[in-house]
Amino acid sequence: MDRPHRGPAGPALAGGTPVTADRTGTAKIIEARDLVKSFGETPALRGASLTVRQGEIVAVMGPSGSGKSTLLHCLAGILVPEQGEVWFGGQRLDTLSDDRRSALRRDRFGFVFQSGQLVPELTAEENVALPLLLSGTRRGPAMRAARDWFGALGLDGLEQRRSGELSGGQAQRVALARGLVGGPEVLFADEPTGSLDSVSGELVMDLLTAAAREHGTTVVLVTHDARVVAYADREVVVRDGKVTTLAGTRP
Amino acid sequence: MIPLGLRLVISGGREAVTRLVILAIAVGLGVGLLLTAVAATNAVSTWNARHAWFWTGNTSVAAGPAAGVAPLWWHPAGDIFHGQTISRFEVAATGASSPVPPGITHDPGPGQYYASPALAALLRSTPADQLANRYPGRLAGTIGDAALPSPASLVIIIGRTPAQLAHTPDSVPVTSISTTVLGVPQPPAEANPRGLTYTPPDPGGGAGATDLILSVVALAILAPVLIFIATATRLSAARREERFAAMRLVGATRRQVSLLAATESTVAAALGMAAGFGIFFLLRVPVAGIPFIGQPFFPAELTLSLPDILAVAIGVPVAAAVAARLALRRVHISPLGVARRQTPSPPRAWRVVPLLAGLAELGFWTIHGHPASIPGQIEAFESSFALIIAGLLIAGPWLTMVAARGMARWTSGPGTLIAARRLADDPRAAFRAVSGLVLALFITTVAVVAITTQDAKNVTRWSSAAETDVLTDQVSASNQEPGPGPGSSRGTAAPGPAAPAAPLTAQLSGISGVQGVLVVRADPGLTIPGTFHGFGALGFGADQGGPSPVPAGVVSCAQLATVPALGRCPAGATAAAFPADGFNGPLFGVDATTITWPAATVPATRLDTLGVDAINVATDGTEPAVEQARTLLENASAYPGVSTPSTIGDLVAKDNSKNNDYQQLANVVILISLPIAGCTLAAGIAAGLADRKRPFSLLRLTGARLATLRRVVALESAVPLLAVAAVAIGTGFAAAAEYASVAQHYSIAAPGVAYYLITAGGILVSLGIIAATFPLLTRITGPEVARNE
Repeated sequence: MDRPHRGPAGPALAGGTPVTADRTGTAKIIEARDLVKSFGETPALRGASLTVRQGEIVAVMGPSGSGKSTLLHCLAGILVPEQGEVWFGGQRLDTLSDDRRSALRRDRFGFVFQSGQLVPELTAEENVALPLLLSGTRRGPAMRAARDWFGALGLDGLEQRRSGELSGGQAQRVALARGLVGGPEVLFADEPTGSLDSVSGELVMDLLTAAAREHGTTVVLVTHDARVVAYADREVVVRDGKVTTLAGTRP
Repeated sequence: MIPLGLRLVISGGREAVTRLVILAIAVGLGVGLLLTAVAATNAVSTWNARHAWFWTGNTSVAAGPAAGVAPLWWHPAGDIFHGQTISRFEVAATGASSPVPPGITHDPGPGQYYASPALAALLRSTPADQLANRYPGRLAGTIGDAALPSPASLVIIIGRTPAQLAHTPDSVPVTSISTTVLGVPQPPAEANPRGLTYTPPDPGGGAGATDLILSVVALAILAPVLIFIATATRLSAARREERFAAMRLVGATRRQVSLLAATESTVAAALGMAAGFGIFFLLRVPVAGIPFIGQPFFPAELTLSLPDILAVAIGVPVAAAVAARLALRRVHISPLGVARRQTPSPPRAWRVVPLLAGLAELGFWTIHGHPASIPGQIEAFESSFALIIAGLLIAGPWLTMVAARGMARWTSGPGTLIAARRLADDPRAAFRAVSGLVLALFITTVAVVAITTQDAKNVTRWSSAAETDVLTDQVSASNQEPGPGPGSSRGTAAPGPAAPAAPLTAQLSGISGVQGVLVVRADPGLTIPGTFHGFGALGFGADQGGPSPVPAGVVSCAQLATVPALGRCPAGATAAAFPADGFNGPLFGVDATTITWPAATVPATRLDTLGVDAINVATDGTEPAVEQARTLLENASAYPGVSTPSTIGDLVAKDNSKNNDYQQLANVVILISLPIAGCTLAAGIAAGLADRKRPFSLLRLTGARLATLRRVVALESAVPLLAVAAVAIGTGFAAAAEYASVAQHYSIAAPGVAYYLITAGGILVSLGIIAATFPLLTRITGPEVARNE
């Protein structure tokens, strides 16, 4: 779990060659170097490195327990690695305070997780508006911005429903709207279709990638579903806490 | 963030509203009880201050102005009716400017008297020859409440002529009414050398002891309420934490989440606070009737000052907000959820050390005797009981864990196994729900058993059972210090005249229920040897250097035979020597039934010519007999007693009455704290069920019967409740037995049926509350819950 007070980052580990994306001309937006992260006695990352370029959709794959979600959480500033560095937009991320990382998540990142993680007491519309409300946006403009996404994601008429009144696919699309409402630079998705049937999953991925490409949003998504991987520009594999890459990027 | 927080509070659906309501009720109860405790403290101050005018004319009260005010003759005395003390004041104004006692508009004239409402009611309902005939004249009005300590106060102000009071012993002219309550015993300073050395029968004071009792009662009641509040805040905890984690994921800072939690708690606290004020004002009248100080209050005296109100109105919501923030500090809410809870380390066996130490300390005093000084005794008992109480709370989790592990090892039922593992896994949480009950049961058990033992002891504390119904009018007194009680002897008092004794004796003997009359005749110079039954060792002789002779009067053996409780004559004697000071002297605390008094050489025919030291009336103990005899004796102006004619039974009744009031207080503590403990259990069960909704639902889906799950729920709550109740009650009895031995010097007496009924009833109600959560279990473990949410 997160470590609120972190000392200086440790040295890079021997072995584990950093891999950078081979997409010339596009700026790096996120870069992770030699990340090490453990949970108690269990190592999750053992020198993982990854570079993500602006606007690309990267799929992170790997067997269960390989550390792919942990890698995503480190990239998103949710967890702080014990060793290594995480850079975002030229700024060191892993040494920021918890408040600063929270601000990043609020203002420049978006999230879609497997179970949606909607606030049960709020309506769908309010859930979507939540990041804006947390940023200090007044209720009226925040709700208007939220409502705009309902039509785009096929959620018309569901604005006043609670999370318990939505189907899995609908809840996931609400979570997607919440992730995109703030115009994030990076969208992090962890098993976004994990609890959905194939039709719903396909719908969610169509909308996610379309919205991302339309707004130039970079997407890092963790999945073990080959159909989801098909939407990505590039895929990397995490195995035993290290990142390897597969050949072939989508044009 | 605050508007968002308010939005979350009111839009959370039925579960959130239920939680809000339960929390508001819990806070309301706590606030209501807190306000009652504060108001009771204020009422005690008022009650105490209203005793001030009883001390008028006392030597320790400053004399009023020397000129410009016509003196008021003032004669304080006491009276007793059926064990109840009556404060009696005889006054005679010498002019229009004479001071007037509070509660009346002008001094009563001869043939008039003012009575408190309670006494006025007694006068109306009691036959005149048992009460009203003691007071000359007619009832001119009632004394106002502002002058009375309690609605139950029995006070009378009788009008006399100045000439009458000028010739009445223990009367003094005063030019002001006292506004000072003196402590008991009286301070040595003599502010008015010409005043009376006198202690009113209802002196007030004792604020320190009252505050201690109020503190103990408040603790015994508030502790379960605070635990109830803490448990209620755990309702829907998982759902709230899920919500906070979602917010952290989308960028809320810890501070923002804390603010949301604090907003939620503050709303509940504000609602609860309003409810608490409502509860206080609704219950003010019945609460005023609870004898916190051995007497009821006037409801209007249960007041709150503006600082009190502001402190609670502001303090409670602030405390709730602070508590919410502190509670969140213990739980790490990250964007991924609550920090994975690790199984807390089990409580260790050292936890029983404080409890054993407390019992051992009490045992030490039992074996070796308690400290000699009163402060030393107080310190010894306070530290013992404080250790025991703290020890119970510290040892509770360990005891719960041991019981649970034993249950898990030996059971073969799945429901019992699940319950036992859960209890053993987190015994602290299980014990926390019932810890308030531990405190209430222990304190109440000790109090009730101690009071019952004291009541039993009081019957023979000062005399034999036979002597309790002997009414004594003590006319003469040797050199004695004034003491508490209705009136007092001031230095010496001479014997009364001889002649009126005979007709008075005949009148007394004519009362139905009077079995005999013993007149102790004065024989100056007659003494009983100091070695006789050790009377002289008590220092009641002329000098107190050792076993000194005891002043004696003479009694007729024929009369003594009609009052066998006071001993017998030697064979063949017609008169015997008898202690002149009677129960005011060597007979106090002595069983005289078996004493054979020394023969006296005074011829029986000469007895009627001797003065009167005392008149003793043997009664059957019935109220009409005792009170008629008392009325006759009080009206016998030839024999102004050094103290009100009274029986040992009056002393016992007065002591027992106070003890019974404290017992009533103890019953109130149980009756309030047991249901609250039950509500705490219910809230804890509901919170636990919400946390385990999915696993329980899946159990049902996979074939577990509902009865099995009910068994789990019941055992998880009933086992700590019953185990802890048994330990608390057992420890209470053990501590009370040791206290009875070391402080009361008496064998422990079993409490009455009421204690067992109330305790058992309270536990049954708590078990019933546990059972009332079963429908919730049925509802939340239905198959639909196992669907993905």
